[in-house]
Parts: sequence; structure tokens; C-alpha cells
Amino acid sequence: MKRLLMLLVLVLALPLSAMAADKVVYFYNWSEYLPEKVLEQFTEETGIKVIYTTYDSNEAMYAKLKLLDGGGYDLAVPSTYYVNKMRNEGLLHKIDHSKLSNYTNLDPKLLNRPFDPDNGYSVPYLWGSTGIAVNTAEIDPNKVTAWADLWNPEFKGQVLLTNDVREVFHMALRTLGYPGNATDPEQIRQAYEKLVTLMPNVRVFNSDSPKLPYLGGEVNTGMIWNGEAYAAEQENPAIKYVYPKEGVILWLDSLVIPKNAKNVDNAMALINFLLRPEIGQFISEEIGYASPNLASVKRLDEAVRNNRTVYPTAEDLVNAEFQVDIGDAITVYEKYWEKLKAGR
Amino acid sequence: MARWIRNGYFLLVYLFLYLPILVLIATSFNASKYGTSWQGFSLKWYASLFDNSLLVDAAIRSLIIATLSATLATALGTLSAVCLYRYRFAGRQVLNALLFVMMMSPDIVMAISLLMLFIVLHVQLGFWSLLLAHITFSLPFVIITVYSRLSGFDTRIIEAARDLGAGELRTFLRILLPLALPAVAAGWLLSFTLSVDDVIVSFFVTGPSFEILPLKIYSMVRLGVKPEVNALATILFLVPLLFVTLSQILLRRKK
Amino acid sequence: MRDKSLFKFLTIGLLALWLGIFVLIPNLMIVVTSFLQRSEEHFVDVLFTVENYRKLFDPVYFGVFAHSTLLALVATLLCLLIGYPFAYRLARLTTRWRPVLLVLVIIPFWTNSLIRTYAIKTILATKGLLNTVLLALGLIDAPLRLLYTSSAVTVGMVYVLLPFMILPLYAVIEKLDSSQIEAASDLGASRLQAFIRVVIPLTLPGIIAGSLLVFLPALGMFYIADLLGGAKDLLIGNFIKNQFLDARDWPFGSAASVTMTLAMAVILLAYYRSIRRLNSGGI
Repeated sequence: MKRLLMLLVLVLALPLSAMAADKVVYFYNWSEYLPEKVLEQFTEETGIKVIYTTYDSNEAMYAKLKLLDGGGYDLAVPSTYYVNKMRNEGLLHKIDHSKLSNYTNLDPKLLNRPFDPDNGYSVPYLWGSTGIAVNTAEIDPNKVTAWADLWNPEFKGQVLLTNDVREVFHMALRTLGYPGNATDPEQIRQAYEKLVTLMPNVRVFNSDSPKLPYLGGEVNTGMIWNGEAYAAEQENPAIKYVYPKEGVILWLDSLVIPKNAKNVDNAMALINFLLRPEIGQFISEEIGYASPNLASVKRLDEAVRNNRTVYPTAEDLVNAEFQVDIGDAITVYEKYWEKLKAGR
Repeated sequence: MARWIRNGYFLLVYLFLYLPILVLIATSFNASKYGTSWQGFSLKWYASLFDNSLLVDAAIRSLIIATLSATLATALGTLSAVCLYRYRFAGRQVLNALLFVMMMSPDIVMAISLLMLFIVLHVQLGFWSLLLAHITFSLPFVIITVYSRLSGFDTRIIEAARDLGAGELRTFLRILLPLALPAVAAGWLLSFTLSVDDVIVSFFVTGPSFEILPLKIYSMVRLGVKPEVNALATILFLVPLLFVTLSQILLRRKK
Repeated sequence: MRDKSLFKFLTIGLLALWLGIFVLIPNLMIVVTSFLQRSEEHFVDVLFTVENYRKLFDPVYFGVFAHSTLLALVATLLCLLIGYPFAYRLARLTTRWRPVLLVLVIIPFWTNSLIRTYAIKTILATKGLLNTVLLALGLIDAPLRLLYTSSAVTVGMVYVLLPFMILPLYAVIEKLDSSQIEAASDLGASRLQAFIRVVIPLTLPGIIAGSLLVFLPALGMFYIADLLGGAKDLLIGNFIKNQFLDARDWPFGSAASVTMTLAMAVILLAYYRSIRRLNSGGI
């Protein structure tokens, strides 16, 4: 009983002791998006303790940071369109590149993108794409080369879509020849009409782990993230990743410092540490998504570096588009998304 | 024959409750990473679980919050149920209505409104905000369970006790509490279950220095169940089971 | 007499204070929010409007409400049908293992429900346990497609919510006096008659409590429909969560939450009234 009480006291005192130590950094990241060893090494080298907490969606992370007015956390990892949004709302701290000695390791192709010109507020962490997966044991791969092929009536009840309003509409908008980030209500309406005709083919919406329904034989084609496709292919070589003709959906998760962060210097030290060639390599290998760090990519095993699923060629990226913030138009998307699901 | 059917049914329900857990335990020993097929026995997920100190810390915090919030919610809830049952007072209907509203509130609504409340009241996000929130959402479950047990009970016994000179507190401790005990235990168990399972409210009302297990598990599972999670679930399932069995054996010995 | 008023005052005061701070104030905030406007930058703008409620009068949302209510109702009825005989048997057991058996009911539920839902998924999957067993026994020729159907959702809901039915029922049945049932039998009632005429009315508070504890949470539950139903249906829980997080339309989400609470209050009140009338008029 006494030991239990001691334990209780210890745990209750834990947050206090963490606050008492002056060298900490509060890191808010996607779960399973960073190997624990990296943090241990960082603490060993710098003496800065990392308090690591996780979230599972941009939306939830944003709502919380917004309500706390950008305080409470020192480092977060939003995706492109949330970087865009948080930047526009003044929720982010400006990042001084001259303090990041490893900044030059980054791939210039992934820098200075429209969601954050000159990367004044964000530093790329990992990136990837949303394309098509095909189980070649069940479906002739020549039949699936474009988003529009998912509408093939042969695939009735065999298609997976991600459970993400922006990605699904992005895909439908591209098949109609519209921009993936359309804000014109008429274009969004047409995408909705188009999606209604896809519903008989849809077996499941899944954004938890899209590879599992493919591996379990529940679906044979549909949308998937490239990292998941890579993992699925390791388990079942018949599952292939396809870059659709209309263009894949690109996303990039970036390190940002919230406006009212208390430990900015420690956060900067951590960013610079994560940009080291060997650290970037280790993260990319462990997590399975592509590193934006050229020095890290060079160190990767050739088989991985030349794997088109993880590291696409320039040809694969024709028509590819990053998602950007669409402002109020999200309510239009959401309305049609609800109609799409409730209308069955 | 009838007895056979009754016992068979009894066992069948237990089987229904335990089957998914058994599958989960089996998966935790499966060498396959995604558990889609059996690829041999392995303990590697347990090894990598114990490498993950964050997970173990979070599990301890969760147990503390669940035990405290279940106990406090049960205490407050039992008192409240007794009050609602014993006394007629102005505003009783209002309290009933508030309990109903709380049960109806979708998680996300409760989560965001409580977070706003804590920000306004300057409650530091972490242990205390989490504890207050967990007590709050467990409360109606205890009250409803205890109230249903008390209702229909013959109030003349209480009057008799009072006639014999027992005070209000004594009546509560000696008559009502023992009477309600099975419901109080049930209420505690339900509260504990709610607390270890809550994700959405906890996500919003806790702070960076006090992350609990359901949040960790939820965000891990969201990106595909990691086999380590199955290993952890197996342990979390076996420990209370072992505890209950041991305590029973010890009790029997004593007798 | 003084201690009565003190005890009464303290307990009622504590409950009222708690509910006032943690339920009344937050919910007032929600009600106020439901009359304001969405803001892209600050979640809400302080401008009065009833537009959020007007938008809810769309047949689409009525369908969402009806579908969720039906699903919750089916889950509640199944829980009652499965849980009542079980709780009855458990409560009437004379062995001293009874408390252990009760705890055994709840232990599986201390494992995170999301993980358990995933386990159900591996049972129902096309190449899952159930299909493998059925195929091996030769009962079916081709795997059944069980996952991502509404029956999978119902199974999942019943599984997750069953203890919330069993425990309140157990608490009420346990106090039943067997002499009451015997008296009824002595008066010539058959076992079934005794059960319907005596046992059910006596355990009605438990039935109502259990049904409430299952039905109300079932309305807001969404991850089971997402995981086992393939997220193809929209339920109230999803809808409100999407409004708050994805669409960032707090006023509309608040209006939906307020409307749902009111609608359910009206339905339940009407239901209680009709039960009470039946009870006083009939039998």
C-alpha cells in the first residue's frame, strides 16, 4: 500500500518536476511518426528533455492549438493546408533559417511551395502521396491507370476510398479536369454528382490504415497512401501502387513552432537535429515515408531510394498537386460529403 | 434439460464477451506484422513494448485517473441518487434534466465545451482537468444505476429507522448504502470502464505533460494497429484477471 | 431534525454545484454558440442568427437522425434480449463465485474498445476466423461478406454496450425476493405468467436504466460504424464531430447537438407518459 502511495505521489509530481527543469521542449506530433530512439539521442546530446504527445488528425491538433492560442506546445507537425491556414491566421512563429545549419540539406523541389512561400514558418519533415492501389492477382493492372478507372462497373463493391473529404473530392475534381483545390461551388457540386455514380463500387471508406482491407482481400483497388502501399507490397507483392494519369495528391508534413511557444530555442535545436543526414535517414527507414532531406536520401539503401512507390520519378509527378487551404469553401465540401454518405 | 440450456446460454454470453479478447491475445503472439495470417509464435512484440517507456508511463497514469475518477464519481453519484430518491425539493426536475443533457451530449461537444470552461476558469490542463472531466461524464451512469436499485424499495423501513432515532447520516450508512451496494459496485465498474476507454474528451482536456493510455492507443490504432498494442492489451487484460483469481484463492484459504 | 436538513442541504448542494459548473455552464455556451455565426478565423463570430437551425430542416439530416435512432434502438433491444436472461441467471446464482462472475463480465471492457473493435474485425473479415471455421466445417462454400455491412455494425454495438445493460439489470434483479415469485406460482400462475406478471414489473426500473445507458451513448457512437460498417453511413455522432472538426462550423454543430437533445427529450417523455398510462390503466 505504501509503495502504491509513493508511486501515486511520484506520478502526480511528474509534471511539476518536468516544469521545474529549464531545458524542455513540448513536441506535438502524429503518433508513430518518430522513433523514440531519436528523442533519446537528442536528450543525451543536448540535455533537453522532450515531452512528446500525439494527435491523430490535423483538425483535432488545430482545434486544440487554436483554443490554447498557440501556447502549451513548442513544436507541431501539420500537413500542407494546415500550415497554410495557421500561417495565415498568425498562429505560427517565424523560423530563422540562418539558425538551422542543416537547412541546406533539404530538397529545393519541396521548398518555397505556395502553402508557405520561402518557408518562413515551416520546415519539411516527411512527405508522400495519395494514389491508387491495385491487387494485380485479382485485377489486370492495365485496367487501372487513372482515377477515372475506379468508375469501371466491373469493380462493383471492390473499391476503397480514404475517409477524407478533401482527398476524395480532390480525386473526383481531377477526373473532371478541375483543380484539386477547387473553391467554385459549381465545380464541387459536379464532383459530388460524379461521386454519387461511384458509390456502387465503394466497399469501404478507410483512413485508419488503408492497406489492411487490401491485405485482407476485402477490396482490390482504390485510393491508398504511398507509405501504406509500400508496406502492403512487402507483405503481398501482388499489391502495386499506381500514379494516376490525372495526377496524384501530394502532401507534406512540416515542423512548425506555434506562436506562443515558450521554448523556441529548444524547438529550433530539435528541428536542426531532425535535419541531420543520419537522423533523417533513420526516421525515413523506420516510418516508411519519403524524406525531404537530400543528404538523408543519398544515404538510403539503393533499393529503397529507387523504389518508385516511395520516391516517385519526375514523370510520376506530372499533374501532381499539393493540397492548400480552401477557406470557407470547406463548408460546401462538407455539405456534399454528408449528402454523399447520407444519401445511400 | 432446462438447466442445461440455461447454463449453456450463460457460457455462450461469456464466450461472446471473451472471443474478441482471445483473438487479440492470439494475435499478440503472431510473428506477422499485420495479423492477416499466422506466421508463427513470437514474443518480439512484448520485447518492443517494454522498449516503449512512454506507453508504460501512460498506462500508469490511466490507471490512477480511472481509479480516482471512478471512486469519486461513485461517491458523489451514490449520494446524489439517494438524495433524488429520498427527498422532494424544488429544482429536482432541473437536476434530472441536467443529467439527461449530459448523457445526450456527443463526446466532441462535451470535449470542446469543457476545454473552453477550463480555459475560462484558468484550470491548468493536465491531471486536474482530466479528473474533473472524467468524474463528470461518469456521474450519470452511477446515478441511474443506483437510483434504479433504490426505486420500488419500501420507504417504510427508513421511516421505521428514523422513528427509532437514527439520524439521517446513520440511516444512509446503515440502511440505504448496504441496500444499494450491488448497484454502487456496478456503478464503480461502469465508471472505471468509461474512464479507461474515453478518447475524445480526454484528448481536448488534457495537457502535454499528462498523456494517458487511451489517447496513445487511439492515435496508434488510427494508423493501423501496431502489434505492440495487442501485446499491451493482453497484459492489461491478464493483470486484473490474475488479480481477481488470486484474491479469490486467498479468500478461500482463509475460510 | 437539524441533521436531516444539514445532510440534505450538503448533498443536494454538492450535486447542484457540480452539475451547475460542469454541465449547465458548458451547455449554455453550446446553446449560445448555436445562435452565432461561423467564422473562418475564430470559430465563431458574435452575430445573432437562426440560420443554423434553418439549415437543419433538410431531409438529409432528418434521414441521419432517423437512421441513427433506429440503429441505437435495435442495439438496445438486442442488448436487453441478450442481457436480461444473463443478468437474471447471474443474480439468482447462489454460489459465492457470484461477485467474481460479475467482475468477469466487465474485465474484457477494460481493454480499449477500439482495439476490441479491431479484434471483431479480424473475426468477421472475409479471410477471418468465422469464415475459416465455417468453411472448414463445410457449412458454406464461399466466404461470407460480413464486414462492412449493417449487421457487422449491430454486432459491434451490442458487444461494446452489453455491460451497460447487464450491470444495472443485475443490481435490480439481485434484490428480488424469491418468495414473491413463489407466491405467484402458489397462486397457480405458470412460470411464464409469474415472470411476466411479477418479475418484469418488479425489475422495470432496471430495464429502463439499462436501456437508457445503452440507447443514449449508442446515439453518439461513431467509430464502430466507421470501422465495421466501412464509414459508408452518416450517423449523428459522425455528423456533429465532422461539423466541429473538419468543417470547423461550431455554430451548426452546436445547433445539431441542441436539436438532437431536445428531440430525444420529447420522444422519451412521450414514451414514459404512454408507459405510465398503460400501467395505471391496464393489468
